[in-house]
Amino acid sequence: MKRLCFAIWLLPAVLWATHERQPKPNVNSRYTVEAVEVSGIAEAKLSRPLREDLQRMIGNKFDQERVDDLIKRMRGELPGRPIFAKLRRGTQPEHVKVLIVVARHEIGFKIAASNPMYHSKQGWSGKAEISSEIPDKGNNLFRFGVLSNADDLLERYVGLTAGYERRAIGTDKVRLKFDFETYHQIWNRTTLLELARAPEVPGIYRTRQNFQPMLSVLPARGLTLSLGTSFQRFQTQFPAARTEAANALVTTLRYDRQLEDSVANRHRLEAGYTLRAATRTLSSDFVYASHTWEFRYLLGRGRNRLENHFGAGVLTGRAPLFERFSLGNSYTLRGWNKFDVAPLGGNRTAHNELEYRYRWFRVFYDTGAVWNRGQSPSAKHSGGIGLGIHGFTIALAFPIKDGRAEPVFMAGLNF
Amino acid sequence: MPRAQIACRCLLAGLAACSSIHAQPLVARLVNDHLRVAAPQLRFLTGKVLERLHNGAPVAIVFQLSLTPEGSLTATARDIARFVVSYDLWEEKFSVTGLSRPPGSASHLSAEAAQAWCIDALSLPVAGLAESRPFSLKLEGRVEEPTEEAGQEGEGGISLARLVELFSRRARGQQERWTAQAGPIRLADLRKSSRRAR
Repeated sequence: MKRLCFAIWLLPAVLWATHERQPKPNVNSRYTVEAVEVSGIAEAKLSRPLREDLQRMIGNKFDQERVDDLIKRMRGELPGRPIFAKLRRGTQPEHVKVLIVVARHEIGFKIAASNPMYHSKQGWSGKAEISSEIPDKGNNLFRFGVLSNADDLLERYVGLTAGYERRAIGTDKVRLKFDFETYHQIWNRTTLLELARAPEVPGIYRTRQNFQPMLSVLPARGLTLSLGTSFQRFQTQFPAARTEAANALVTTLRYDRQLEDSVANRHRLEAGYTLRAATRTLSSDFVYASHTWEFRYLLGRGRNRLENHFGAGVLTGRAPLFERFSLGNSYTLRGWNKFDVAPLGGNRTAHNELEYRYRWFRVFYDTGAVWNRGQSPSAKHSGGIGLGIHGFTIALAFPIKDGRAEPVFMAGLNF
Repeated sequence: MPRAQIACRCLLAGLAACSSIHAQPLVARLVNDHLRVAAPQLRFLTGKVLERLHNGAPVAIVFQLSLTPEGSLTATARDIARFVVSYDLWEEKFSVTGLSRPPGSASHLSAEAAQAWCIDALSLPVAGLAESRPFSLKLEGRVEEPTEEAGQEGEGGISLARLVELFSRRARGQQERWTAQAGPIRLADLRKSSRRAR
């Protein structure tokens, strides 16, 4: 009897599942498509193959399955935007117009986890964020998040983030952003031991807060110039518990363009420069300047993807530990443990990551060095392989060195 | 009377009122040892469904007709059928395609005729049903969520955001759905009325 009841309950679901794959017949399939129009975005924001496929519908009979497929592809290129199609009578008899509407984001809360990951040397890292977007002329966005990160810096920082962003001030080429972060720090034992031998490096702290207002200007397509300040306060532990400040001017210039050539190769070019200059003018206890450069090039052809990322940094003056460069995490010198490379980080760095992907398979080769001014850099190398399916990636990376090499295992989303 | 009891009765009365608003009457008839139904007051090609149809989109609708004998808590017979309705932009008429067994279609229909065509396609065999045992019939229908609401497919693959979106989709209770009911009915009464109709 129980089995019968279960079968009765299951039947609608089975029927449902089997019918889901059937195309939906549409009586308008006998009409010819006269025009295809996209509203809500500039068509240039869509990839060329997609634009071409949209236009290819013109002159053919209306095909519901084809429209559904194109909308699915559009959703892939415009994540998070509601997209639907409307059909209208054409100007000629027996003809129809296809209108594809890309709607604005709806008001509501979104919960997102950014790059949750496990690293066998560092443990878990991840951030959960609740954001609410209020679409209006200025597009306001509020964010609130909790995170634990052992990947980016020499410290594990655990805490809360909050932010407000106004995506248009008068024009959508000017944006304003306020970020607030409050963290509690956990330190690696190797870093603590090394600190005792390096009195020139500022000590550890147990809490850190950062307030960062930034104004961004988009003067040209793909180009973003951001100006702002970072007011950081942190409570040091040694030699005595006291609060210090590292207040800096922050300037970032970024360039990001996606291009497609005549043979449908996809190119993405990203370049960036960031200056963080802490000065007494902003009542900072630390005076330093941090320059970082980044360059990324991505070439995609069909299911093949080749990506190269180069980064470099120079730090002058006396900067707290969170500003010092380190290598050996989930995106630089993969396979190395950052506490073996430089447990106190360094004030100079240069690194390169080369990666090839075919469908879900990836292979990478990283190289880099982190050192202090006056020392000669010692380049380290690593390599690895991984599998990535629907954003979930597992990777095994090996340091390339003499003697025993312990691999690093990484697993997570979108790292 | 204790307050809790009054509140409980009010709640039950409210629920009963709500269910009576949504459940439309169902008219049953016997055709070749099969029960067929009609719901003359049921209008499902209205509101958002009609708006989608006028936008040229096909709308899939699933119907279930179930028979529950009196005294039984579960249905002993049910028929499930899925239809796709579309609206001809030039002729301004509806077309219906039945995707369940037996597949069939009808075109150049008015909204009322399209609705009736769907409901008329449902049937339940009466074999094994006692002539004098009362039973009730229930017709339930719901619209399939359109493709654009069925999920955001981006390059990010699986993410917590996607999972949250998946679980925060409109619940079945909030989807477009309709109910019509009839009963208690006796098979013997239906036989008499079908003879009279002849």
